[in-house]
Amino acid sequence: MKLDCKHIWRELSNYLEGDISDEVRRDVEAHVAQCRHCAALLDSTHNVLVLVADDRRMELPVGFNARLRARLEREMAIAGPD
Amino acid sequence: MVDAAAQKREKENGLIENVLKGRHEDFHELIAPYRRGVYLTAYDVLQVQADAEEVTQEAFLKAFRALRGFRRESQFSTWLFRIALNEARMKLRKRREVPFETIFPDEDDGGDYAPTMLADWREIPSEALLKEETRRLVRESIAALPEKYREVLTLRDVNGKNIAETSEILGISIGNTKVRLLRARLLLRDIFVERTQRKLKHQPRGVSP
Repeated sequence: MKLDCKHIWRELSNYLEGDISDEVRRDVEAHVAQCRHCAALLDSTHNVLVLVADDRRMELPVGFNARLRARLEREMAIAGPD
Repeated sequence: MVDAAAQKREKENGLIENVLKGRHEDFHELIAPYRRGVYLTAYDVLQVQADAEEVTQEAFLKAFRALRGFRRESQFSTWLFRIALNEARMKLRKRREVPFETIFPDEDDGGDYAPTMLADWREIPSEALLKEETRRLVRESIAALPEKYREVLTLRDVNGKNIAETSEILGISIGNTKVRLLRARLLLRDIFVERTQRKLKHQPRGVSP
C-alpha cells in the first residue's frame, strides 16, 4: 500500500520505536525515499530525541543523595512501613 | 541462560522482604537505581530543581511507608514511578489551580497534525549552535510542552521506560500511550525547530548548514 504524508506522520513515532510491521516499515521507507518533507521530519524528530536523551544525563543537585538518605533515615527511625 | 531482568527482580524482592522484616537500611539499596530517574521525572513535571528534589524525597518516603502494599504483579520501578508522578502532579496542582486537560483536547490519532516549517532544513542544525545553547533550547522546549506530553516524553525518551511500563505508570492504555508519545515527539520537534530557527536568525554565526 502506498502511504501518503499524513500516514507517515502517524507512523513516525512507531517507526522510531521500531514498533512497526515489516510491511509498514517498507512503506514508510519507500515514501521517505521520495518525499523530502517526510524525510526531514523523520530525521529532525530523531535528532531532537537524541538531543533530549543526551541532555538528560544532567547532574543531580549537589548533595542530593545525602539529603535523600538523611530524610529517609529520619523517617525510618520513627517507624517502619505501615 | 539466566534472565537479567528476572535476576534483578529477584534481588529487589529480596530487598523488599528484608525491609518489611525490619532491615530498613536495605531500602537505600533498593531505591538506588531509581533515584536519578525519579528526580528527572519530577523535574520534568515541575521544572524547578528544589521542588523536584522535595517531591523525590516525598515519593521515596511514601514508597517506604506503603511498601507493604506493593503488589508483585507490576515491577517495583513501575509502582515507584507512579507514586513519583502522582506526587509531582499534586505539587504542580497546588502551584497552579488551573486544570490542564481542558486546554488540550483528548487523544486523537494524530492525523490532524501538520508539521511547521518544512522548508529548508533537513536536519536540526545543532552544529550551528553552541553546545550549551543547544542544551538550553532542548530544556526550554521540553518545558514548553503541555504537562501530559512532558510526562510521557520523560518516561519514554528520558528515562527509557518501554511503552508497556510507560502506559502502566501513566495509567492509560498502550494505544493512548503511543498516540500521546507521537504527539509529544512531534510537538517537541516543532517547538525546538522554531526556537532554533529564531535563534539562528537573531544571532547569525556564519555557519552554513
